[in-house]
Amino acid sequence: MDKATIELLARRAGLDKALAEFPEDVAAAAMQASGSAAKMKAPTDPRAEPWPPMRVGEGL
Amino acid sequence: MTDLHWLGAAEAAHAIAARELSPVALMKALLDRIARLDPKLNAFIRLDAEAAMTQAKAAEAEIAAGRPRGPLHGVPVGIKDIIDVAGLPTTCHSKVLEDSAIAAADAVCVARLRGAGAIVLGKLSTHEFAIGGPSFDLPWPPARNPWNTDHHPGGSSSGSGSGISAGLFPMALGSDTGGSVRNPASACGIVGLKPTYGLVSRRGVFPLSFTLDHVGPMTRNVADNALMLAAIAGHDPLDPGSAAATNGHYTAKLERGVRDLRIGFVRHFHEIDMPAEPEVTAALEHVARTLQAEGAEVRDIALPPLSEFAAVNRVILNSEAWAIHAPWLRQRPGDYGQLARRRLMAGAFLSAGDYVQAQRRRLEMIAGVEAALREVDVLLCASAMDPACRIDKPADVERTYPRQARTPFNVTGHPALAMMAGLSKGGLPLAVQFVGRNFAEATLFQVARAWERASGMGKKHPPVG
Repeated sequence: MDKATIELLARRAGLDKALAEFPEDVAAAAMQASGSAAKMKAPTDPRAEPWPPMRVGEGL
Repeated sequence: MTDLHWLGAAEAAHAIAARELSPVALMKALLDRIARLDPKLNAFIRLDAEAAMTQAKAAEAEIAAGRPRGPLHGVPVGIKDIIDVAGLPTTCHSKVLEDSAIAAADAVCVARLRGAGAIVLGKLSTHEFAIGGPSFDLPWPPARNPWNTDHHPGGSSSGSGSGISAGLFPMALGSDTGGSVRNPASACGIVGLKPTYGLVSRRGVFPLSFTLDHVGPMTRNVADNALMLAAIAGHDPLDPGSAAATNGHYTAKLERGVRDLRIGFVRHFHEIDMPAEPEVTAALEHVARTLQAEGAEVRDIALPPLSEFAAVNRVILNSEAWAIHAPWLRQRPGDYGQLARRRLMAGAFLSAGDYVQAQRRRLEMIAGVEAALREVDVLLCASAMDPACRIDKPADVERTYPRQARTPFNVTGHPALAMMAGLSKGGLPLAVQFVGRNFAEATLFQVARAWERASGMGKKHPPVG
């Protein structure tokens, strides 16, 4: 993710203050996010449902 | 009798109920030890000594009058400071909440411990908001590892792990979103359980990630962990993630051994996906051989790679945490420590599509672990790939922190227990992790107890105090 994109996304997220005071932290957060998203594989089944995220079940 | 500070929760409760031990004497011994050792360990953010002693006196009077409250009557417990305790602030170890309002009510898990007779000692150190640590730029210092105070005690339930290991209290509550009960349990050589998702109520616990958060018991031995889980488990209709599970008989199978159990050894986690330190590998092999000698059938089994679990965990955690922290991060980013600020802002750079995709992939990963657990009763795998690193070397923390196999079971929700597997040449704990079927914590305790009994791990204490 390049600097201009990071700044654009940060401002869209309302992180103007963080961008001004902690630009390196904003950049690190952006890189962390893009790294995690890139490593995630897409579901094998295109019809796979996301919900409910956790099936807590009936238990014992 | 054992030194009072090394008494386990069950042992203490039994002696108190039999009137062989005064809860006041136990409390005094622990408060003295805390006064002596905690300045080096920083396990506490807030010690509530006066209230704890008042409750100990009340417990003594109740027992003398023949009015026992429950199986933990008179036993002290520490509470991670993201969990509400009535009358105390919940700071989450952060300047953001340093002046936060006093909690009006106990979290459900705390109320249940009190219902069983436990006495709250105070609030314990954590990584900031259970994610940013170890940090030296917060209002309170980070907890230290009793096995070597130059080393990290693991996190985020750092004070819980440090204090139990050092004999400051026999049990504590932690929370686990990416391994935060099991990490300090591994680093400090104690027993930490992340129960099945939904088994323990999260109401009154400051959230980090709604669909990954678990509250779990931390103790020095397996039997105490089962006893503590029995006290806190159970349905809570006001927690939307709470399972309709009844409370199980977690201590019922403790001494049955592992004969006829099938254990799946997930070797690829520490041999291929994330090669562990040789000492860790040797310790895991020793655990597997020991359980085999005890009568279990041990076979290799495969799960999806660790990197996939980690990526799914991160995308979900960062997205959900951002939803919680966005207003504060926008208005007062300087009130966070740097580590928490970096980790919590990551969610601002993920899309709604990323989040939904992670939840879709998650269900496939759950199916993968379910399939493995149809072939075996319990999984055995690494917890940490390294012994605890030095706490004052950020590069070492950054390198070793992600080298773990705990996040898969936050993603899938299966119960997972970490405990000591041995000691490194440098005298630091090494750890093993056992993973069970949903709501089969009793079987998990059965295996963990068999290892503990065969190895004597529950009796090893750090050279402190």
